[in-house]
Amino acid sequence: MRLLRGAKAPRVIAATALATVAMTAGISATVSTASASSKVTISVAYAADTTFDTIPLGTKWWGAVKKEFQQKYPNVTLKLIPVPGGEPDFLTKLALLFKQSNPPDVVQFPSTEIALYQSSGYLLSLDKYLSGSGKTWFSQYPTVIQNEGKIGGKIYAVSAGENNNGIYYDKAILQKAGIPLPWQPKTWADIITAAKAIKKAEPKVIPLWVDAGTSAGPNGAGYGILNLLAGSATPTIQTASGKMVVSSKGLLQTLDFYHTVFADGLGAPTSQLFSENNAPNIPSTDFAKGTLGIAVAANFIGGNWTKMVSFPYWPKASTAMGVAGLPKINGGGYASTLSGWDFGISSKTKDAEAAFNLINVMQESKNMIDAANWAGWVPPVKSYWSIPTYANFAAPFNEEFGKLLASSSELPTSANYSVWVQAIEQASGAIAQSPSTSGAAAMSQMKSYVTNQLGPSAVTTLP
Amino acid sequence: MTVMTSPEGTVAGPDLERLWKTRRDRDRFQWSSLALMTPAFGLLIILFLIPMGYAVYLGLTNLTLVGPDSVKWGFTGLQNLSRLRQDSTFWTSLWVTGGFIGGSIVGVLVAGYWLASLLMRARPWMRIVVGGVVVVSWMMPAVTAGMTWYASTTQGGALGTLIGMRNTNFLDSWPLVIVTLANIWSMTGFSMLVIGAALRNIPSEAIEAAMVENASAWQRFRSIVLPLLRPTMIAVVLLTALLSLANFGLIYIMTQGGPGNATNILPLYSYQQAFSFNNLAYGALIGNVMVLLATVFGVLYVRVAAPRS
Repeated sequence: MRLLRGAKAPRVIAATALATVAMTAGISATVSTASASSKVTISVAYAADTTFDTIPLGTKWWGAVKKEFQQKYPNVTLKLIPVPGGEPDFLTKLALLFKQSNPPDVVQFPSTEIALYQSSGYLLSLDKYLSGSGKTWFSQYPTVIQNEGKIGGKIYAVSAGENNNGIYYDKAILQKAGIPLPWQPKTWADIITAAKAIKKAEPKVIPLWVDAGTSAGPNGAGYGILNLLAGSATPTIQTASGKMVVSSKGLLQTLDFYHTVFADGLGAPTSQLFSENNAPNIPSTDFAKGTLGIAVAANFIGGNWTKMVSFPYWPKASTAMGVAGLPKINGGGYASTLSGWDFGISSKTKDAEAAFNLINVMQESKNMIDAANWAGWVPPVKSYWSIPTYANFAAPFNEEFGKLLASSSELPTSANYSVWVQAIEQASGAIAQSPSTSGAAAMSQMKSYVTNQLGPSAVTTLP
Repeated sequence: MTVMTSPEGTVAGPDLERLWKTRRDRDRFQWSSLALMTPAFGLLIILFLIPMGYAVYLGLTNLTLVGPDSVKWGFTGLQNLSRLRQDSTFWTSLWVTGGFIGGSIVGVLVAGYWLASLLMRARPWMRIVVGGVVVVSWMMPAVTAGMTWYASTTQGGALGTLIGMRNTNFLDSWPLVIVTLANIWSMTGFSMLVIGAALRNIPSEAIEAAMVENASAWQRFRSIVLPLLRPTMIAVVLLTALLSLANFGLIYIMTQGGPGNATNILPLYSYQQAFSFNNLAYGALIGNVMVLLATVFGVLYVRVAAPRS
């Protein structure tokens, strides 16, 4: 998934008024099914600019889905609602769409929004359909992905594709630094050792890319620092009681790792890390230019080098680059965050059956794999990870990241998470900008910010 | 009609003081004028007072963008105000806003006056070319200006290349200074035009008389030019303050309020609360604070710009 960011004027009051007026229509969870013979129209809202790697690929995929759906269900007209803008803009506009009396029937949105939409009463439970016509594909999802949209024992959204993370490395640079290939670090210390060796052997190369700062929005942390937190001694972000963790051994270990990276001059410059221009995708251009040694980055970087995506087109990537799992701090397996895009059905849909039929079409093998290839996802159906249409699209990266999915863990989905993730990004950014900032100082800054925003009762400290 | 005179005038008598204190416009008021003003009052109420009142009310609720409080929300009294009082990010944002506006006012005034006075003495063709370029920077959309300054002030940008510091990332090293400079750059064209017009209206006789009296350039500026430019300068200050207070796009494009909260001016913080953190009500409250600030600027302008007897 490529992050495109847009700028909108802060029409807070106007937007609030608009939203509130729209909301006066109220919420009714009445779901009816149109008779099979009458012509009905259902709509689907999705991010026009951010989900797929390029806008034309998104247009192509949604156009093909519409054509296939209307051929299969001639009594139903599908209305596409592409929502333009970067991801923050998309989320704002989508929320306003759902405040209307006539929201879209089907929505494609990030997994981190599911709980918010469900708690607003916006989403229909899909259990009935998933045990019926959707069973063929949903039963093939790994449990962790099946549970992505599960709230209170009911499923409200199903994954369209997943993003997970790992390590990319330039084989030639590692060889020059005297690191044996294939490289698989066992601990975080191994990563630092390799980065230091690269700095010594290739002083002009950026040794290690770890995302920092707030410029990429909440997803930036998901592709960067939260992967390290997931492999720390205390990976918990939100406790079972809903409190946000603002101080823990794991947070300190993670921020200390950042301190080591930037204090030793191993990290990327802030001009890249804080770039407003698609920061999480910068490793793909740096690797292609031969200016980056190692990167903790998302699965979609591999797809960026394909001719279809061309960000940039780098045919030698498959042989020049290696992939490794991100180890936990002291070994014992890999760690990664898992975040995806999901389909849900509005609780106000006039034809839930037709809406789920649309999801069935979108989740068909070809459509799911095309979406995964063109949007930079790992498909949620496990058996697709090794089939040629997916694995060969961006070999060997697609298959490797499919294998790493098993060690990935979901991010929290709550309103308070957006504040917490802003705080940890500010903390990582503070270290990147002022490398003398210790991990403890950054954690203290983070604790202060989250406590200030959410109140003392919403935060907690773990050992 | 009330007798028009002055306390020092020659008209004498016991009613003199009472007559002087009498409002001289009273006779001009007619009840029928209320009916004529009704459409204007109506528009004022519909387009300003009701939305403003609603925004104030929203700021005192728990309305969110999504989540349970987006559906069932209500009045929460002074809870948001109490939160605002203790919100250290808000106070940081207020200071940052002050620095951004203050720096912009000084820069826009100085650069505008400097360019206008230089162009007064320039050849006509040069006046057209330089004036045109400066005005283009003023006409440029905030998005374009933001992208231009972003590209120029980050590592490898034009600024670093020009001064031999190509590897320096000016934007992240001095974020507030750079975004303020960008704002000054984008608003100097307006200031130059307005101050230039005022400079041309200063009577040359006054300057020539001062020169005959051997007044220095500084004395001529302080005693003649500056007093005559005062109303224009006040207008520029007020408009710069108001336009800077609302300049969301430029900073959003360049830094999104970061790094940290270094450039997080109130409009950005309001946006962040309303749309990134889903707190529409709290975002509206911060918006109301901006309205209060703008009102303060307006009142100051009216008081300072009022003609003195």
